[in-house]
Amino acid sequence: MSSWLDYTINGLIVGNVYALVAVGLALIFGVSRLINFAQGSIYLVGAYIGWVAVVQLHTPLPLTIIVVAVAAALVGLIIERFGLRPLQNSVRIAPLLATIGISFVLDQLVMLTFSPNPRALPSQLPDIRFQIGGGTIGPLDLLIAGVGLTSALLLFVFLRYSKLGWAVRATAQDRDAAMQMGVDVNRVNQAVFGIAAALGGVSGLLVGMYYNQIDTAMSLQATLKGVVAEVVGGAGNVPGAVIGSLLLGLVESYGVAVFGTSYRNLFAFLLLVVVLVLRPNGLFASARQAPPEPLTGTFIAPSRPVRIPRWALLIATAVFAILPLLPVSFYVLQTLINAWLLGMLALSLTLVAGTIGQVSLGHAALLAIGAYTSALLSLTFAVPVGLAIIGGGLMSAALGTALISPSFRLRGHYVSIATLAIGEIVSLVILNWESVTRGPIGISGIPPLSLFGYELVSPISIYWFSFIVMVVLALLQGRLLGSHLGRSFRAIRDDDIAARAYGLSLNRYKSLAFIFGGFAAGVSGGIAAHLYSYINHETFNTQQSILALTVVILGGLGNVVGAILGAVALVGLPEVFRIAAEYRILIYGIVLLLLVRFRPQGLLGTM
Amino acid sequence: MTNPPPDALLTLTDVNTFYGQAQVHFDLSISVPRGHIVCLLGGNASGKSTTMKIILGLVKPRSGEVTFDGASLLGLTTPQIVRRGIASVPEARRLFADMSVRENILMGAFVRNDREAIAQDLDKMLTLFPKLGQRLSQRAGSLSGGEQQMVAMARALMSRPRMIVMDEPTMGLSPLYVDRVLELIRTINQEGVSVFMVEQNASLALEIAHEAYVLQTGKIVLSGSARALKDDPRIRDAYLGGSEAA
Repeated sequence: MSSWLDYTINGLIVGNVYALVAVGLALIFGVSRLINFAQGSIYLVGAYIGWVAVVQLHTPLPLTIIVVAVAAALVGLIIERFGLRPLQNSVRIAPLLATIGISFVLDQLVMLTFSPNPRALPSQLPDIRFQIGGGTIGPLDLLIAGVGLTSALLLFVFLRYSKLGWAVRATAQDRDAAMQMGVDVNRVNQAVFGIAAALGGVSGLLVGMYYNQIDTAMSLQATLKGVVAEVVGGAGNVPGAVIGSLLLGLVESYGVAVFGTSYRNLFAFLLLVVVLVLRPNGLFASARQAPPEPLTGTFIAPSRPVRIPRWALLIATAVFAILPLLPVSFYVLQTLINAWLLGMLALSLTLVAGTIGQVSLGHAALLAIGAYTSALLSLTFAVPVGLAIIGGGLMSAALGTALISPSFRLRGHYVSIATLAIGEIVSLVILNWESVTRGPIGISGIPPLSLFGYELVSPISIYWFSFIVMVVLALLQGRLLGSHLGRSFRAIRDDDIAARAYGLSLNRYKSLAFIFGGFAAGVSGGIAAHLYSYINHETFNTQQSILALTVVILGGLGNVVGAILGAVALVGLPEVFRIAAEYRILIYGIVLLLLVRFRPQGLLGTM
Repeated sequence: MTNPPPDALLTLTDVNTFYGQAQVHFDLSISVPRGHIVCLLGGNASGKSTTMKIILGLVKPRSGEVTFDGASLLGLTTPQIVRRGIASVPEARRLFADMSVRENILMGAFVRNDREAIAQDLDKMLTLFPKLGQRLSQRAGSLSGGEQQMVAMARALMSRPRMIVMDEPTMGLSPLYVDRVLELIRTINQEGVSVFMVEQNASLALEIAHEAYVLQTGKIVLSGSARALKDDPRIRDAYLGGSEAA
């Protein structure tokens, strides 16, 4: 590939693939105001069903497409019926979290069934290329373009001329009014999930054939790209999603042409952040559209927090403090060290997501910033490790807040999308900024933890160090929540418009929350860097962000003690039950789903 | 309240409704006789709109009974209730703003499958609401408030309902349109459709209603024939919420 025409063709083809994902997201968002984070998992499932059909059943191409579409649609229907419909009357955060949980479960099931290793998905078309102008085009390109156009046409006819299509449009515009016309909204949801899943599954199949390879990492990428395209086109806007997808494909393709392959995703996420900041309703939104998330105060489950008496907390702290002196194995200490590190991250997230209501899906980026800062300070500038960790925390607080600040004007789901994108951008910058971060090689030989010149190498000293840091952070956060600042945070979470009407500056309080939260997360990342002695751009990934979110929801959003309890439970229980590593993510996903369904306020209640 | 008369089409009996801890209705009983216009009057936060939602199945009462044509509506979903023959003109019209006027009116016939009769009814709506004829392909959201009210009423009639429930049909309309809307409600009623409407504007509503109920903080404080209520000095007190007793 060399000519600009080639890059344009490639951009449009890739854009077509994104469009199949994004259109489904737009349909679902239109009807149920939900960003379906499981869309990429359906795409993944589609790719693997396609692999089974092609490689094992030797189906001809048209049949392969039909098999994938039908099977994926079934998965979509199951998700709607059993994952989302029971949550119809819960708080608005519930279905969002459920799709995240479903996506983890599906991805892990695919990984466990097919192994994480990539597989070759042969294209069932002849490998010839036609010369057109200064570029070339192959049969697969034409197939993808054909499937894209046909789907768009079918969808148009469906929405414009079929009764169910009318019901879909009416529901998207006014759900209650549609019900009063006799529209069965459950059937509309079913239809939309079925269609979205069929399109997503076929998209996965086509991408697999296009790159001749499928692996389980495809899922998150597809969700992210689909969400980017959909938001660029305007959430819920079906034609907008198509145009947004083509635009995204072209931007990426030209970006790759100029800067190289590793920059592909960076452009996608920068495009997203720019659109979110400048035109959060998408490029084609007109002024009459309602601002995102018009409902406030209903996003987080209200509940009465469980009050834990002070003496019980003191006893628990004392028990964990003297634990290393008791005859416990290093293995237990090691597990608890991990829990304390996760606890610090959870403290940070529970403040940001729970207390002030900004559900961040990119929290691992704060770990990464802290870890890299601390590692580089101690390695390059020989800063003592203790100070370097504090430096990591400060850097994470400052840089993290600065990076996330463009999303301060967003609300609800949009905050989650923006933070997810910002998290990805951080990891991509780490990958590409080789002169500072050493790029894909990562940083090795990070000095071990030390304090005032004494190296902390024994598990007992590391245990105490991390435990004390976490307890100090928790106490500080408890003080913060009890002050007028804490009340202001909760006021903004419960009703940001009312809070603003009372003179609270949203930007200032959101910044303060992220500064405090960023510091805790950065310290956690810094300690982790010195414990691991090696980090790279994948050490702190989206899985960790989601794990932290699960911990926070398990403990109860905004609940300090809950965050720590959640961390101990999610790190500890798999160890207690000796669950193999590859099943853990699956378990976390299931825990998240069960929580959302049966105890959305978490173990100790939201505060 | 007394037992509903035998010719009642819609009845609410001893309905108690709650939003969380807060009680909205206290033993609410209302009956709409077949072929009548019944009006529910009340100020803000009296529970009027919630009464509409109860009838349409959008809110479920904690206790009490709601029947339509002798059968209970309580276990039914909103679409099922619509299929029983209740159409709605929601508060603030709630048109499908991005769909055309024609599509909006036809959405009213969503529960029907008789294509030809639907087409005939569409023509009939255009004779009843002649202004809409030129607006058919326009976006519904671009119409004026009065025109939107016409569309909402046409949309409701398209399901060939036995009863229409209307939530403040004259709200936000110019005086010209208010008269027009009231006249249309009377016309619709004369064609045999029972009407249950919720209104703040008592004097207007009592012009066209047969019976009326006055709702105050969730309790019926007055009821009777519209004629009698119009002359009742208490109606102003109760309606304005001025004095507690009525």
